[in-house]
Amino acid sequence: MAAFMEEAFIEARRARDAGEVPVGCVFVLGDKVIARGGNEVNVHRNATRHAEFICIDATLAYCREKRLPARQMFSEITVVVTVEPCIMCSAALHTLGVKEIIYGCENDRFGGKTVVDVAAVVGQRIDITGGVRADEAMALLKEFYKGDNPAAPPQAKKKK
Amino acid sequence: MDLPPPEKRARKSYSLEDNDEIMGIRAILSDEFELDIPLIQAHSCQLETKQQLQAVIQELSQKLPYFQHLKRVQDRDVLICPSSEIDASETLEQHLQRFAFSEHVLRALCQGNKVVKVPQRMPRLRVQYEKTQQHWPCKFHPNHYSESLRNGTNFTASQRIFHKRMAQLLVKLSRDQNAGRPVGICVDPRTSSLVAIAGSGEAQSPHEHCSMILVDFVARSQHGGAMETNLSFAEDLTDSEAILSGLPKSYYDYLTKNEDYKDLRFGAEKSRRNEKVEDVQGDDNLAKFGPYLCTGYDVYLLQEPCLMCSMALVHSRAKRVFFLRPSDNGALATRFQLHSVKELNHHFEVFQFTTNEDDLT
Repeated sequence: MAAFMEEAFIEARRARDAGEVPVGCVFVLGDKVIARGGNEVNVHRNATRHAEFICIDATLAYCREKRLPARQMFSEITVVVTVEPCIMCSAALHTLGVKEIIYGCENDRFGGKTVVDVAAVVGQRIDITGGVRADEAMALLKEFYKGDNPAAPPQAKKKK
Repeated sequence: MDLPPPEKRARKSYSLEDNDEIMGIRAILSDEFELDIPLIQAHSCQLETKQQLQAVIQELSQKLPYFQHLKRVQDRDVLICPSSEIDASETLEQHLQRFAFSEHVLRALCQGNKVVKVPQRMPRLRVQYEKTQQHWPCKFHPNHYSESLRNGTNFTASQRIFHKRMAQLLVKLSRDQNAGRPVGICVDPRTSSLVAIAGSGEAQSPHEHCSMILVDFVARSQHGGAMETNLSFAEDLTDSEAILSGLPKSYYDYLTKNEDYKDLRFGAEKSRRNEKVEDVQGDDNLAKFGPYLCTGYDVYLLQEPCLMCSMALVHSRAKRVFFLRPSDNGALATRFQLHSVKELNHHFEVFQFTTNEDDLT
């Protein structure tokens, strides 16, 4: 499954090129990518449009289109994402009951495993593996934060 | 610094319950404020005379700099170190010999030894401080704002009336316009203007909770928004600058056609694009830079938000979150207190309405 990390990186770079925080994600079912996406926070002015949510919405649309039961579908999905899912995304993925999560680098500011034990709060545990190509994922973020987040207000920019 | 902060005047004691009834809104403070200060064991000694104090304290503060939050001395009793620092295999004296005390100080430290219980950290609220006093004297820096949050005096009477009005609106909108399902309202507190209203849908996606929809409708008021929806939204009025596009037409019409709500204000400030920073001292980022996500906005929710929704409100930088009904999976009071996680890069205040719902409608 870790081989799918390259697909997630393609989405992360695409997000970067669009002026978004470079995080990419793919949802894998069997040996097939059924959903893919990068951050879309700035374009929508909505701080919840993380890569994982783009994939969740795409999966739900896929289920509607193919008339498949979403709950069962999620239980067979492996989430591959370049950065540790944040508390919000991790809570959503735990609640939806995905099969497993594989991520690249840790998110020490608001990671759903590093900062808060999301599984304990939600009351559901799933397999989580971190550290897959972590250095590359971190390098992408560092490169991004050297520049300005174009959507952040001026004061937030100054602090960085 | 070392004297206990004086009581400014006789304080009327109150119970939180009495207060709830008067105020109707309760701040959800983190455990750091709510719980009694944990106690730890410490070794102490008793000096023969107070003349020894100066030399003993001077060496102790250099060699064993523990207990910054405590008074080191109580009468002739002096705190030496946390008991956990001393190995089970050694005596206090053996332990102290590692630190090269001068001989007379070492002798003093090894007299009248006791194990005492002391507060582990500095209290945040006076009520905690008062409870620590029966154990060991402790330092305390009272914070007026924290105290006001605890006793409900942080809101003025008119602010409290407005917040309760929003709670009333949540109940009515849910009942009359959303089949009893959760609703949320986002308000710009500078003008008490309703920026966005959202209700969770009937056949909603498993993650499309009220708060998630609400922050997307706020995004709509800023030329954004990602959610596909069949709803139609209020149109901006020609004689006003306010942006109404975060307000679904059904809710907007319901409120504007109701005599009881004639005085409510609606709409967001227009986004300031690429405008220069005004150097307004003391104002928040909403005043300085204009709307950005939910910066500076208050969010009122019928239901306590789950962890996903609570974090969505952190990401959105909401200023304060008010909710009416606790949720089984609530992450601000019931199962967790997300707003008390220090590592997060944004923190909002959380309040729960404690007024009986029947009294609201």
